[in-house]
This record gives sequence, C-alpha cells and structure tokens, in this order.
Amino acid sequence: MKSIDEQIWDYIDNTCSQEEKLIVAAKIASDETYSTVYAELLQIHQLLDTEQLDEPSMSFTRNVMDLVELEIAPVSLKTKVDKRIIYAITAVFVLLLIYIVCYAAAHGTYAVADFKLPKMQISFDISQYITPLFMKIFLFVDVVLGLIYLDGFLRRKSLR
Amino acid sequence: MKQELSDLALITMILEGNTAAYAQLVKRHQRFVFTLAMRFAKSREDAEEISQDCFVKAYRALGTFKQDAKFTTWLYTITYTTAMTFLRKRRLDITSIDDEGAAIQLENHISDYNANAIEKTSGHAYLNLAIGMLIPDDAAIITLFYKGEQSLEEIGQALNMESNTIKVKLHRARARLKEKLQYLLKDEVKELI
Repeated sequence: MKSIDEQIWDYIDNTCSQEEKLIVAAKIASDETYSTVYAELLQIHQLLDTEQLDEPSMSFTRNVMDLVELEIAPVSLKTKVDKRIIYAITAVFVLLLIYIVCYAAAHGTYAVADFKLPKMQISFDISQYITPLFMKIFLFVDVVLGLIYLDGFLRRKSLR
Repeated sequence: MKQELSDLALITMILEGNTAAYAQLVKRHQRFVFTLAMRFAKSREDAEEISQDCFVKAYRALGTFKQDAKFTTWLYTITYTTAMTFLRKRRLDITSIDDEGAAIQLENHISDYNANAIEKTSGHAYLNLAIGMLIPDDAAIITLFYKGEQSLEEIGQALNMESNTIKVKLHRARARLKEKLQYLLKDEVKELI
C-alpha cells in the first residue's frame, strides 16, 4: 500500500497509470490531507526543478584540456561497417539461390531412379604434406597471430 | 546562426583525431558533473578534482563508448564511480572526531542562515543546505533526476541499479529532504516550501 506522499510524488512525476492519476486528482480536490500534502510536495518539486547548477572555476575547461593533452588520443575500438555493403552481399546470395532453384526447376527431371552412392576409395596420407617448409609457414602464421592478439590486448589495457 | 553539434557528432570528431572538440563536450557538461561531484565532496576544491578526474577518465575511455546510449548517462556513471572512490579514500583518512566537527559546522551553518535575513527568504539556499545534509547517494539521485534530465531507467543504468529500486530510493530521498527542510525552516516551512 502506497503512502499519501508516494501517491502524490507519483502523480507529480507522472509515473503512475492514468487510472491512478485520476484517483489521486480526485482525492486532492476533495480530501484536505491530500491537498495539503500536494501543495507542500509541489513546492519542493518546483524548488528542485528551478535549482541552479553549481559553476566550476573559470579555468576548469582549460585545466581539463591541459590534462587531456597528456593522454593518448582515443580511437574507436569498433570498426564501422556500412550497412549497405551487408545488404548488397545478402541480396547477391539471395538472388543466386533463387536463380539456382529456378534453373533446377526448369531443367531438372523429377523421376526418382534407383540410386546408389558411388563407392569412393580415399587414401589420405597426411605425412606427405608435413614438410619442413610447411612447418615454417605454420609457425610464422602462429607468431603473426600471437603478435596481433598481444597488440590488441595492450591497446585495451592502455585505454583502461 | 551556428548550429550546435550533438554529443555523438562531437565524439565522432574526437575519435577521428580532432581532440580539441573535447573542450566543447567538457563545457557542455561541466556544470552538471561539478554539481554532482559537490553532492559527494562538499568542498569546491575536491569537487573540481573529482570532475577533472572524471573528464580525463571519460576521454581515455571514449573509444569504448557504445554510441547506442546517451553520452550523459555514460558520463554520469563515470562521475558516480569516481566520486564514490573519492569518498572511500576520504573515509580512510577521516576519523570519527571529524564527524563531530561536521555536526558543529552544520549547526554554525544553520545559525549563519538564521542570522542572515536575505538568505532566509531564499528557498534555494535552504534547499542546497538540506541537500548537503543528505547522504551522498540520496543527493546524487535527486540531482540526477531533477538536473541530469535522466529517466528512472537511465539513472538505474548510471548507478547500476534497477529502475524500481531507483524509484523507491528517490521517494525516500525526497522524504528525507522534506524532513531536513522542515528541520531547517521550522515554523517557516509552511511559508517557504
């Protein structure tokens, strides 16, 4: 159950429902307790509303800018992607799919024949691919990726 | 007439290398950030230190700002956490003797206000004094709601709380503010507020 003060604050702040608003308005008009509290709270509300903000010293902005000049200039960590590019790529894929479906529908035959998957002989010897050159390239790419990650990590740390 | 750039447009300029544009952002928000800092620090020097620290932190982290939210909400989060850190540091330095000192100071403030006929007629002077008597969290929520042009949801985002919690806290903070005003103004409360 809300107190009279709470009901009236909600009414003043306009944070109550329309129904509650009508009930409180009627009570303010008919009930003396409500009208007295309303007058008091409304005046506090108006005082708070018209209160002036404090002013810092005249050199405040200059002092902040002097401090800011010593800092590293901020950069956006978020890469902006033009939405039109995303829409264009989506459109290309959708059109391609529609074309394939239409082509298949126009040229395909729908008879279900006796169908068997062809047997495949797969022999995949991985050892022939792991050569010293492959290992060097693999390690080089790993080192580059590690350096990129370290750079990103240090950047984030310096921004904090 | 020169059109004022939005916060997001200024941020984009800064991130593209025009760091001088940050001065415009500072000028635009310094009064509110400073007022919010004053709710925690109580002295102008400390509030300026907090505000400066807050703007430097915001500059450093500008690249991480997600531009789908309001810049002010993000900036007030930084202000709130910076001010809370400042308070925690202060609490380690201050002993309970200082608390007594603060109470005496408050009494002196009241008598100063009672002695000053001009100040007596100013509702805002009493309001500022009453806000100064609130705990920093209450004062910050009231300031964010009335001066920060923030919705309950945005205040919740800034203070890392649910909007319903903020609503309850706002109610309680205003109830306490009313008590403080009544205490300060005593019989004059009905005339002035």
